Amino acid sequence: MSLVLIALLPFIGAILPALMIRAGRNACALTAGSVTLTSLILLLSYAPAVFGGEVIQARFEWLPGLGLNANFFLDGLGFFFALLILGIGLLIIVYARFYLSKQDPMGLFYVYLLLFQGAMVGITLSDNILLLLIFWELTSLSSFLLIGYWKHLPEGRQGARMALMVTGSGGMAMIAGMLILGNIAGSYDLTVILQSGEAIKASPLYLPALLLILGGAFTKSAQFPFHFWLPHAMAAPTPVSAYLHSATMVKAGVFLMARMWPALAGTPEWFYIVATAGLVTMIVGAWISIFKDDLKGLLAFSTVSQLGLMTMLLGFGTPMAALAAVFHILNHATFKAALFMTAGIVDHEVGTRDAKRLGGLVTLMPITATIAMIAAASSAGLPLFNGFLSKEMMLYEASHTYYLGQEWILPVLATVGAVFSVAYSARYAIHVFLGKERHDYPSHPHDPPFGMWAPAGLLVVLVVAIGLLPQAIAGPLVQVASNAVTNGTAPVVDIKIWHGVNAALIMSMIALALGLLLLWRYGTFVALRQRFPRPEAKDIFDRLVDRTAAAATFVTDGLQNGSLQRYLATMVATMILVGAAGFFGGSHGAGTRATLPISPLGLIGWLLLVAACLTLVFFHHRRLLTLILVGVIGLIVSLGFFYFAAPDLALTQISVEVVTVILLLLALNFLPKQTPVAEFAPRRWRDAVLAGLAGLGVAGLTLAITTRDFFAGSISEFHLANSYPGGGGTNVVNVILVDFRGFDTYGEIIVLGIAALAIFALLESSLHGKASKRLANWVPETARAFDSHPLLLVVASRALLPFALLVGIFIFLRGHNEPGGGFIAGLVVSIALIIQYMASGFQWAHARVRVDYHAVIGLGVLVAGLTGVAAWIAERPFLTSDFTYVSLPVVGTFEVATAMAFDVGVFLTVVGAVMLALANLSRIGRLAETGGGSHPIASQH
Amino acid sequence: MDFLAEAVVAFLIVVGSIFGLVGSYGLAKLPDTMMRLHAPTKATTLGVGSILIASMAYFLFYENLFSVHELLITLFLFIAAPLTANVIAKAHLHENQVDPKQLPAPEPQASGQTPGWSTFDPEAERQDVR
Repeated sequence: MSLVLIALLPFIGAILPALMIRAGRNACALTAGSVTLTSLILLLSYAPAVFGGEVIQARFEWLPGLGLNANFFLDGLGFFFALLILGIGLLIIVYARFYLSKQDPMGLFYVYLLLFQGAMVGITLSDNILLLLIFWELTSLSSFLLIGYWKHLPEGRQGARMALMVTGSGGMAMIAGMLILGNIAGSYDLTVILQSGEAIKASPLYLPALLLILGGAFTKSAQFPFHFWLPHAMAAPTPVSAYLHSATMVKAGVFLMARMWPALAGTPEWFYIVATAGLVTMIVGAWISIFKDDLKGLLAFSTVSQLGLMTMLLGFGTPMAALAAVFHILNHATFKAALFMTAGIVDHEVGTRDAKRLGGLVTLMPITATIAMIAAASSAGLPLFNGFLSKEMMLYEASHTYYLGQEWILPVLATVGAVFSVAYSARYAIHVFLGKERHDYPSHPHDPPFGMWAPAGLLVVLVVAIGLLPQAIAGPLVQVASNAVTNGTAPVVDIKIWHGVNAALIMSMIALALGLLLLWRYGTFVALRQRFPRPEAKDIFDRLVDRTAAAATFVTDGLQNGSLQRYLATMVATMILVGAAGFFGGSHGAGTRATLPISPLGLIGWLLLVAACLTLVFFHHRRLLTLILVGVIGLIVSLGFFYFAAPDLALTQISVEVVTVILLLLALNFLPKQTPVAEFAPRRWRDAVLAGLAGLGVAGLTLAITTRDFFAGSISEFHLANSYPGGGGTNVVNVILVDFRGFDTYGEIIVLGIAALAIFALLESSLHGKASKRLANWVPETARAFDSHPLLLVVASRALLPFALLVGIFIFLRGHNEPGGGFIAGLVVSIALIIQYMASGFQWAHARVRVDYHAVIGLGVLVAGLTGVAAWIAERPFLTSDFTYVSLPVVGTFEVATAMAFDVGVFLTVVGAVMLALANLSRIGRLAETGGGSHPIASQH
Repeated sequence: MDFLAEAVVAFLIVVGSIFGLVGSYGLAKLPDTMMRLHAPTKATTLGVGSILIASMAYFLFYENLFSVHELLITLFLFIAAPLTANVIAKAHLHENQVDPKQLPAPEPQASGQTPGWSTFDPEAERQDVR
């Protein structure tokens, strides 16, 4: 359990800094730090077991059906990375406390940082690749927040967006790759996948899976050609850069390659893709880095280069190279975090981080200069510092690895990379700290407070310590980590400072000499570089994004141009196509069930329906007439329901019909009363053909369904048999709605409520801004009667209200046993209220209805939900119903069912939804008719 | 008794049906809206009323049940039918489908506007109230 806590603690603790910021910045930082420290201590408590070669596991089933389990495991590699993440995270928290200014929301910073930390630790401890993917995406999201922390800076926002887009899309590719991998291995558990390396490499799907997974790893680790996001992410505050680019974010890609090493590495594909990408990244990144004047830009590209180095080592595919990669990860994390911190200190204290404006800081800020120069020396690969050791290993590996069958390619190119890295490291040390002291700094530089340089200082102590006593300090850690990477095939670690004079040492010395030479002739190289065109990655990226957005807009606008006719045509055409594909794709025959003889009454109804429909088609351009005909058709349909003994449906149909017609009438008020005739004849034909085909399809479908029995028998018998004993009601329809399929109904009333709120939102927008002005200046098509509220109508509607409400309550109460129920009752009550609005005017009615319809909708959903939750108290599943019989004097014995309470929820939601929509249409009408003032329609009777 | 009951119920149904038929025929045949209005209003009031009484009689005689539903329906109908007719007539007048010369001149309006017939001027009404 505590294993899971290591990853979860930062997530849980992320809330604390946000709360503690009220107690001050120190308390806030302290809280964040103690969360990380707790995680770190938990992790260290496993150290003996991990160093003993154990693999600790914690398994929880989450969604076993999908193969997604919350399985965690801790092996050497996970321990190694988690240690880096938490250890450097702790130092960053201290550093950030002093770095962030008073204006920066520090609580928020630590929240983001802890979320990110949790996600990173999650990646390293996941034993399930799906779980790993979740954490992977979480790092993309939380790093987006961190990079864009300074929201007021456009660079920050753009950099954050770019990072999210590049790493996010890489993550998408990786999801696909991981799913393929899981399919090949037959399990999504890493422990299983890592053991089935042979099967994976032999699979025909190996290459696609490899490419997709590497897509994720390369984007995350900023490998060429995806390296461009990393420098732009430097717009983040320096603590973020120091954390993301030394120990965490970008190392996630390297971690993944190391993690997948047993399963994927060792093939020629792996070698040529990974090693080449790493090599190119190493050289290109280092070359650009030399010429960056922005200190953080310089460090960013140097990070890109170093990541390339690690990737290349992992790409070699030999256990020794993997060991070197692990060692370099450790060394890089220490010196790069220190370098970033010193860059931040310089920026903080001097007020600029432009290398051209700096120089001679060593006398002004000696401590910072010492730290920075030690870290830079390690980065350059100077002997006695830890960077030297791992770089030697890299050169040694490169010197006897064949590339394209040639022995010399890799050593030469690796040396070139090393030359550049010496140059940029030396530039960082020399151009910033050495040289003449200047007097034109933006502010007066001096060493920062202890808390700000101490984290960096601690890191360079490690740099030197590992450099001097590598085997004693780093040996065991590197050993367990590389054992885990290579599945136990790693050689025994024996890091020595002095190997005697060998190829690696000579290459190292050449690199040192040439690098310093390059810096000595710096001006010449700058001029040389200016001569060649340099593609600006950000421009290309922005253009690519713009093009993609334009393409998306083109497609969207083509489909959605605001014409309802086109939407309908698209949807109906799609339905026809899908239906036709299904129909012609399968075999089918005529139905076998005998048809019923038609009765004279049925025939008359049918003829009326057909006649009404045909009339509607012919007069469809006269909209008021169309509306009346729609009402007629609705009535006939409800008669049809009645004829087939479905009184519930008939009742529903009638009330829905009334509401619909009123709603459409109110809307039609603002629309042209005539549909313009389509001038373009082919379009008319298109519509006719579409409508005809769709109609034939639906008719055929209905015929097919009604002339055969259901494949697996109808469920009706079950409902009929269980309605009374199970649900306590004799009205099967109602029992189905509120009991058997109560959860469906619950979802539906929520949808209904959302729809009403959407109508409200759409109409509300027409009461403000341009639309409201257009409405206020609206000239009605037809002359207005002065008699807005005919006296007769007003008096009668008010007299009828109590009766109508009574009917509503009656229908509601009988609903469980006889036709009726919450839905119909809701509609009836709504109609009764709408009549008041229509007869007496919006203002009169609105002044008297003292409830907020939004609240009614919410209350309805809540009541229904609480009814469902109440079942939990009785330890039954959600929405289980119960009923009993109660005897009261006078009234007699009657039934009380929990479903009744649920029905109240349905009732309230329906009333709220209908009234919200209709009342808002009247509001618009009021604005349009009166121009916002009080005029006849608003007058009171 | 049985025969008498049957006769009463049948008579009421037939009467109701005849009114319904006449009403429908009138709706189809009468020349303009104002006249046509008469047919269905009368038909509903008398025809449907008669059939509702028939229903009451049936339940009283055969099921021994005094049914009040029909009374409620009658109540609603008696409110709804004249109302509908009134509103339709007003709408018709407002739409000016009648020859204005056939109507008496509308009363002078306080607001200075000249509305159509059968409509009222709220400004005038407000002044009346004052």
